Amino acid sequence: MKISLNQLKNYVDINVPVEELCERMVLAGFEVESIEAEGENIVNVVAAKIVDLAPHENSDHLQICQMDIGKGEPIQIVTGAQNISVGDIVPAALNDSYLPNGAHIVAGKLRGVDSNGMLCSGEELCLTEADYEGASVNGILILKPDVLVGTDMREVLGLDDYIIDFKITANRPDCNCFLGVAKEIGVVLGTKYNAPVPSYKTVGESITDYIDLKVENYDLCPRYMGRIVKNLRIKESPVWMQKALTKSGMRPINNIVDITNFVMLETGQPMHAFNYDDLANKQIIVRNARDGESIMTLDGKEYKLNPDMLVIADGEKPSCLAGIMGGKESEIEEDTKNLFLESAKFRRDNVRHTGRALGIRTEASGRFEKGTDILNVEFAMERALGLIYELDAGDIIDGTLDKYESLPEERVLTVTAKSITDLIGVEVPEETMVSILNSLQLPTTIKDGVITCKVPSIRDDIEGRADLAEEIMRIYGYDHIVGTAMRGNVARGTKLPERIKADKLKALLNGLGAYEIATYSFIGSKAIDALLLDENDERRNAVKLLNPLGDEYSTMRTQLTTSMLTVLATNANRKIADGRFFEISKRFIPKSLPVTEQPDELPTMSIGIYGKDEDFFTLKGIIEDVMKLFGAHTEYKRSAEPYLHPGRQAVVLANNVEAAVFGEVHPTVAANFELETKVYVAEVKLDVLYNIKKRKTVYKPLPKFPAVERDFAMLCDIDTPVGALEKAIISGGSRLLEKVELFDVYTGSQIPEGKKSVAFSVWFRSADATLTDAQIEEVSERIIKKLEAAGGILRK
Amino acid sequence: MKEQLIAIREAAENSIKAAKTMQEIEELRVKYLGKKGELTALLKQMGSLSSEERPVMGQLVNEAKALLETAISEKSAELKKAEQDEKLKAETIDITMPAKQSKVGKLHPLNTVLNDMIDIFQSMGFDVVDGPEVETDYYNFECLNVPADHPARDMQDTFYLGENLLLRTQTSAAQIRTMENRKPPIRVICPGRVFRADEVDATHSPVFHQIEGLVVDKGITMCDLKGVLEQFAQEIYGSDTEVKFRPSFFPFTEPSVEVDVTCSECGGKGCRVCKGSGWIEILGAGMVHPKVLASCGIDPEEYTGFAFGIGLDRLTTTRYKISDIRLLFENDKRFLDQF
Repeated sequence: MKISLNQLKNYVDINVPVEELCERMVLAGFEVESIEAEGENIVNVVAAKIVDLAPHENSDHLQICQMDIGKGEPIQIVTGAQNISVGDIVPAALNDSYLPNGAHIVAGKLRGVDSNGMLCSGEELCLTEADYEGASVNGILILKPDVLVGTDMREVLGLDDYIIDFKITANRPDCNCFLGVAKEIGVVLGTKYNAPVPSYKTVGESITDYIDLKVENYDLCPRYMGRIVKNLRIKESPVWMQKALTKSGMRPINNIVDITNFVMLETGQPMHAFNYDDLANKQIIVRNARDGESIMTLDGKEYKLNPDMLVIADGEKPSCLAGIMGGKESEIEEDTKNLFLESAKFRRDNVRHTGRALGIRTEASGRFEKGTDILNVEFAMERALGLIYELDAGDIIDGTLDKYESLPEERVLTVTAKSITDLIGVEVPEETMVSILNSLQLPTTIKDGVITCKVPSIRDDIEGRADLAEEIMRIYGYDHIVGTAMRGNVARGTKLPERIKADKLKALLNGLGAYEIATYSFIGSKAIDALLLDENDERRNAVKLLNPLGDEYSTMRTQLTTSMLTVLATNANRKIADGRFFEISKRFIPKSLPVTEQPDELPTMSIGIYGKDEDFFTLKGIIEDVMKLFGAHTEYKRSAEPYLHPGRQAVVLANNVEAAVFGEVHPTVAANFELETKVYVAEVKLDVLYNIKKRKTVYKPLPKFPAVERDFAMLCDIDTPVGALEKAIISGGSRLLEKVELFDVYTGSQIPEGKKSVAFSVWFRSADATLTDAQIEEVSERIIKKLEAAGGILRK
Repeated sequence: MKEQLIAIREAAENSIKAAKTMQEIEELRVKYLGKKGELTALLKQMGSLSSEERPVMGQLVNEAKALLETAISEKSAELKKAEQDEKLKAETIDITMPAKQSKVGKLHPLNTVLNDMIDIFQSMGFDVVDGPEVETDYYNFECLNVPADHPARDMQDTFYLGENLLLRTQTSAAQIRTMENRKPPIRVICPGRVFRADEVDATHSPVFHQIEGLVVDKGITMCDLKGVLEQFAQEIYGSDTEVKFRPSFFPFTEPSVEVDVTCSECGGKGCRVCKGSGWIEILGAGMVHPKVLASCGIDPEEYTGFAFGIGLDRLTTTRYKISDIRLLFENDKRFLDQF
């Protein structure tokens, strides 16, 4: 909330510079967003006297002025204005000066004649008649003749104020007003705070002869107060009030509207003024809107209402959206004669709902939403009437209509001083506690270490010892808190097994040259289409955001591959030649749609690689290392993912459970992601891998006897999987087999059509003795038989 | 014969001394010491000597043989070394040529920073726990003392997924799950991803990361909170870092504070980074609100606790002076390789 320092000085003594005030307020819980020195945007503009005027040779409207700026020789300034004469004192923007509109004035030539600045109009200095008499004149602002030549214009205009923007936290709605902030300043500075004391005279008669008030819904409107003022004398409000409004960001309109706004800014209680003569049947009814009702508000917009919305109606129709905005029809205008003035409390959630539903937010609704004090309703009404009387804006009729079901009872908190000390950890003297609470207008006494504190309704944020501790500490000063080491357990903290496994996995992938990436958890609703997934593919069953920032961020991802492809495209399209990337995150799998409970959040890893040295098998190598890390027994099978190349993809079974799918990305899918290069991706279900129970590692003695190597070269059908042949060798070699390595696959000349040549190196070893030729012969025979069964005929 | 021996020996010694290559040496060895060599030939002639002369001459020949063998082996060692030196010299490389890199990837900078933080807090006895990213209204708000229509909800624009389901706006939700599942003493941190409906720009992201800390035990005070945060700040920013509390408001803590640390850029003198104040705001914290403890079944009369929430993304961007938060999610390899 923006408040002028001078305004605050009306209520509280401020005996420190503005910077210090702000620093101390920050330490008491009132963050300062900005301090704006009034007139700080008027730089190097002085009062100057015109000592000579001459016409410009090359212009029929320009004049050449010799200006006394109070420093030696006059300076020359060319102006286009006509309302000046020799002897006038006017504002002159000198060379290298700034005006409030941001203009930077420098010396130059106007039609060939030197001009060392600019003479300013009231408008150019952003002044109105309220700021300086004559400011609205068309032409240069003529200053009063007693203004000292050479005086800075900020001084001339009396711009010595500061506008402080306080950030009021959500627990202190009582400080969204001048008085709330002034009260706190008084406590922080230890100076005297004076609330205004309203007084006024009435002209007799009785309000009951004017209006009939009925509140139908006390739940949504716990208190409603009304007064009548007749014979309105609508005019401009006084300059002090206009300035207070503009400095807090509100526009002055007329005395009645300005008074309601000023009282809101001052007390925090929004007010509303109705044109009494527009109220049908002379009735005010606080009720829910009826189906089909609508209202045109002050801003000229028409809104359809529903029965959840509270309105202030006259005898026929809604006249005001309760707590939000008045109706156009009962607006106060220049010729309004009589006034019905409202001060009320509306329930904050209802104001919020209605405001949101209609898309309206006003100064008033903001305050009601944050919470207003039911007792403040009366003070604000008194203050408004006092101002009406003081400004002679109308004649106040006797009598107040004040409807409520109950007013809150005074709350009394009792807590021990020790319990506060125990929470803070430092000893605050008991008398200090009591005096701080009293200074905050929380009447407090202490007896035998027990604090008794009366909490007024305006401070309904204070509920117990923690709140009192905070009130005490923010005034006593948090710099009294001294860091201490916690008592108790000093063992190192633990990590969850999943995190430990993920850390190891990341280290492995880093070691394999892969960079970890981070991408958003939500993707576009159409992103999944780019993967060419089947209509019934269950990955299409995704949780949607109800209020996404845009479609691009609308869908909780059920896979990480689309994000990975985007990252690969970003890199490839920036001409980065190659890359290996991985991401460990979550896939969100709904239990049902639309969602009624939390979806499963399953740990998932994506891997993406590209570059001239990468292919299906380099990715397979990474996958194998990952599987080894988890001690998985793996099996590779052909898969049928639509987003992968139909002949270059595989699913990995880890201990017979599907754990990963990987392969070359389908060219159509690659094109969908604007990828022109071949890329390879894997999607790994870490939930499966994390669940694998890894066998304990037990040391195997190093071999004592030599290994024997034999090569097996064979012919087989071209589509016989090499893996099947390898399996045959492993099974035939049984326990003597140490290692098998594929070293050649060949098709072409000397190989019959439809066949390929495949060659493996196989190592045999026994732990107990050097193998004999007979043993090698025997095991080789077994392998050859197995190979034949698997379709591999040994080449002779 | 003796003269003959001396002549052979002298000739051999001179030739060995003059030899330039291993090949020459080998030739000399054959010439003098070989089966058909000159000394061998001399030995063969011994038969013609008298039995008195024979042992004398034999000894002389053997001496000469030993002498030449030594000379040959010394010379060949010398030549071998020279040859090796020559070869090594020829093998000299330009050590300024580029290295042959083993490609090694890197952790994402967010996780590099996170791992540092986890280390610090683990060393102070904090367990690291996780919580779900899709939360219920109950855990994200209700339990944290933010009832429906509380104005504090405006502080955090929330993404909703369903009636009571949302993307957590803070890791504080994990506090509740922890307190429900553990009995005090509790000392945990919960790092994780959080979401708020902020439009994407250089300093805002709808997806960001927090580290929530929670301690609940008997006799925990605000001074303990400051102690923990001081240790954390000093490990992250250096041992002379100071910590300052400023009063603030969070619905789930009371008292609540914003926590500033000495600006690490200027050491507290005031600079552009800290906008001249000498302090940088790094986190929000406070004593766990009694209502929050109570709603998790912990007696606020018996136990107290504190909680804090650190913004990981901000910590990362300030540590590395990253000017635009979007870079963290763009994943350009040249960016990722810098950390």
